[in-house]
Amino acid sequence: MKVYLYAMLKDYFDHEVWLQQPVHTIDELKEKLSAQNENARDLLDSCRFAVNDRFIDNNYIFQSHDVVSILPPASGG
Amino acid sequence: MMSSAFYHLPAVDEWRYITDEPINLAAVLSKAHRPGAGAVVLFSGETRDTSEGKAVWFLEYEAHPSMAAKMIRDILQEAIDRWGLHFAIAQHRTGVVNISDSAVVVVTGAPHRSEAYAANRFIIDKIKHEVPIWKCEHFTDGTKVWSEGCNHKEKVAAAEEVLSDSVNKF
Repeated sequence: MKVYLYAMLKDYFDHEVWLQQPVHTIDELKEKLSAQNENARDLLDSCRFAVNDRFIDNNYIFQSHDVVSILPPASGG
Repeated sequence: MMSSAFYHLPAVDEWRYITDEPINLAAVLSKAHRPGAGAVVLFSGETRDTSEGKAVWFLEYEAHPSMAAKMIRDILQEAIDRWGLHFAIAQHRTGVVNISDSAVVVVTGAPHRSEAYAANRFIIDKIKHEVPIWKCEHFTDGTKVWSEGCNHKEKVAAAEEVLSDSVNKF
């Protein structure tokens, strides 16, 4: 599963992360990434998640071909 | 999408809403005239030279371009439908934006100014708080910081409250 991370998340991770082992839920994904970098845990909790350019909620079950975007709180303008 | 009696925006062209080129405000405004639009409001969000007491060198914006473009298009269509606008335009920069350059422009055209102002405010507030665009402030001392953004749900709720107050006053 391919995961793209944006903005301040790139202080902790690469922009593009490829997950070999299956991850099924947003909570699992957050846990997996937080395990890689504990300092990113709070930020990940404040993020929105999208699959194929659509926002998903906590009930969403990932498919292996999903392209996931992790979006920190917006700060445009 | 709901059908609308008002102007319908074309399908999403990413460049129309998100650009890494400088925004030419005069060129944007030159397209913003319609015979029935007696009021045209242009808002330009520009890089300020200080942020919380620190001297700003420049800003740098990053976006999720395809999502941001689609969301801006949908926000504009919502504003067109809600206020009966003749047109609504918005474009946001990515990349480096120097002091006094425009990072985001919103132009609204309506028969009268109350709708044009209210719709413009609605659009910029929604873009700032909901659309996946992020600002990194670069300071003259060489440091940089990502703007923390906001809890978008709270901020948008607050903005809509202010907006409904201002609409009620008209």
